[in-house]
Amino acid sequence: MAVLLLLPYALLLIQSFWRLRNGTLTHELTLDNYRRLFGTRLYPATILYSAGVALRVTVISLVLAFPLAYVLAFKVRRHKTLLYMAVIIPLWVSYLVRAYAWKIILGQQGILNGMLMSMGIIRAPLTVLLYSTAAVVLALTHIYTPFTLMPIYAVLDAIPASLKEASQDLYASRWRTFIHVILPLSLPGVVAGCTFAFVLSMGDFLAPQLLGGNDSALMVSNLVWSLFGVAYNWPLGAAVSVVMLGLTLILLWVAGKVEARGSYGGDARASVVDYAAPI
Amino acid sequence: MSFADPPFRRRFRAASTLALQLLALSLLVACGGGGAASKAPRGAATKIVFTRTGDARADAMTYLKLLCPKPIGGELNFMVWEGYTDSAFTAPFERACGVKINATYMGSSDDLVAKLRAGGSQTIDLVSPSSDAITEIIQAGLAAPLDTTRVPSFGDLMAGFRALPVARSGGKIYGQPWAFGPNPLIYDTTKVTPKPTSWAVLWDDRYKGRISVQDDIATLYMVAQYLGLDDPKDPAKLYNLSDADLEKVKAKAIELRPRVRKYWSTAGDMTQLFQSGEISLGEGWPLMTHQLRLVKFPAGEVIPKEGTTAWADHWVITTGAQNLDAAYAWLEYAAQPFTQKLLADVTGYIVANPGARAYMTPEQATGQHDIAEYGAHVNFWQWGSKRDKYQEIWNTVKAAP
Repeated sequence: MAVLLLLPYALLLIQSFWRLRNGTLTHELTLDNYRRLFGTRLYPATILYSAGVALRVTVISLVLAFPLAYVLAFKVRRHKTLLYMAVIIPLWVSYLVRAYAWKIILGQQGILNGMLMSMGIIRAPLTVLLYSTAAVVLALTHIYTPFTLMPIYAVLDAIPASLKEASQDLYASRWRTFIHVILPLSLPGVVAGCTFAFVLSMGDFLAPQLLGGNDSALMVSNLVWSLFGVAYNWPLGAAVSVVMLGLTLILLWVAGKVEARGSYGGDARASVVDYAAPI
Repeated sequence: MSFADPPFRRRFRAASTLALQLLALSLLVACGGGGAASKAPRGAATKIVFTRTGDARADAMTYLKLLCPKPIGGELNFMVWEGYTDSAFTAPFERACGVKINATYMGSSDDLVAKLRAGGSQTIDLVSPSSDAITEIIQAGLAAPLDTTRVPSFGDLMAGFRALPVARSGGKIYGQPWAFGPNPLIYDTTKVTPKPTSWAVLWDDRYKGRISVQDDIATLYMVAQYLGLDDPKDPAKLYNLSDADLEKVKAKAIELRPRVRKYWSTAGDMTQLFQSGEISLGEGWPLMTHQLRLVKFPAGEVIPKEGTTAWADHWVITTGAQNLDAAYAWLEYAAQPFTQKLLADVTGYIVANPGARAYMTPEQATGQHDIAEYGAHVNFWQWGSKRDKYQEIWNTVKAAP
């Protein structure tokens, strides 16, 4: 099993050292692909741009998901499952349908512009809403916020009520209980959720293609696709993939370390590795 | 359908000589019964002519009964563009000729070339490369020369299309014309006045933020043509520009970038951008103009004076094709006007047999043009030696700060 899982990665790694000569793959080993990757502004710039988009998505997702998970875990008494499902259900709606829905909402003749204009807030339709980095970030946030919420909720829900009660018995204020008890215990879930949002949105392919504009149509997955599918430059495509894989592994390793420090080893532990394993 | 339409008149005359055709048919059947390994006509085939009804589906059925009086049998493996094996015209062929068609779609020209090179020509019988990939396939020795005597309707296909040099090599013909399309400038006639005549209109400040171009290296070809870097006498130059010329193209394309609302990747993207009021003009395909006009959108179309590029798709038999009887039967069927009309229904492309127009409504027929109408203004895609470089420049343009 392990061989079958690792073989594709090994092939990718080997391919990234091959050479393209007159449009034909040759099996000579070379470092040229990596030289071109790091020596041409396009590749690092695209990776950085994708990381910037992913970072924004992660921060917004966290800001939205944490309070929601907190309310679901501690404040809601009845219909808890129902509310949790309400957050998860959008995941069952096709990605494409959701992306197209954003086109209808954000377009120049869209619902949002129409509303703002009829309210007299703006005179001409805003073009920055659609076909822009903002639209890409918005769509990705919509799609990946549930992924951030799930691990945070799982961790918060598993915090024993006795810990909160103990804190209150010692005359800690609600705020102090949150800062010193709830937040440290929720850290593994936060790290796991943020890693999901970051890694998934950084590797996204459709949002920039469907909702990106003249400055936001190219993320790293679109680049890899064009190298494999259009330019027939598999070695360079493989090299970009290897770099991305390396960055992801470093990120997972760091996330694992942070979690290990934040975790107290009890039931509340939700490791990013545990979650990432089935993917 | 119009009686004034020359192809129809020609066929009408042809239909009146039915007796002759029945004779030809009986010969065909006689030939067909002979071979043990193959039941279809070998060697030179005879053209089948019959009384047309004007209904493409019905005529296809009637024709196929005559083309395959006995089932040929076996299978045909296709690697084609999506839409080229639509059941509207493949299912009747499969039934009548007893041939099972297995189709794989190609994602890009490069995809096809890569698969054939990697040994696919041994398992794939027929492919439908565009004008860029076909030369590469011929050069790599993956295409078999066509025996046009086995495709008696070959001569009915558009003369200008048959004459394209891309499908020829060493005096041999390798491709059978199927469909083509140029990349014209499409504009909203209510917003863009006067009628544009040059690609320069894309750099016009009046339309800043209201244009769309294809998310493809085809846009670089357009920019190069606008800059006059191509040579109408040597179409290949456009696809093999020098590094210095490519730098000029890159700079001009980067200048275009902030003017673009969105890069389109499918025909649906572009028509939607027009319909939702996001753009006023852009480079597109005639299919889009056609679709926009069908929904009463005021779309105008022009081939700018600097010229434009175009694609042309051919059927090509691979060197590894085994079931040649079935392959040639398919080619002859593919050249028929009713088959081509069904293809136009599915894809909206300009089809290779002008006779197909006789089956179309006047609206559908207006979308059909002859290659000759475009003249030297249209440069058919070729395979350049620097494809990889072009792609990197295109990505750089998209990622420009």
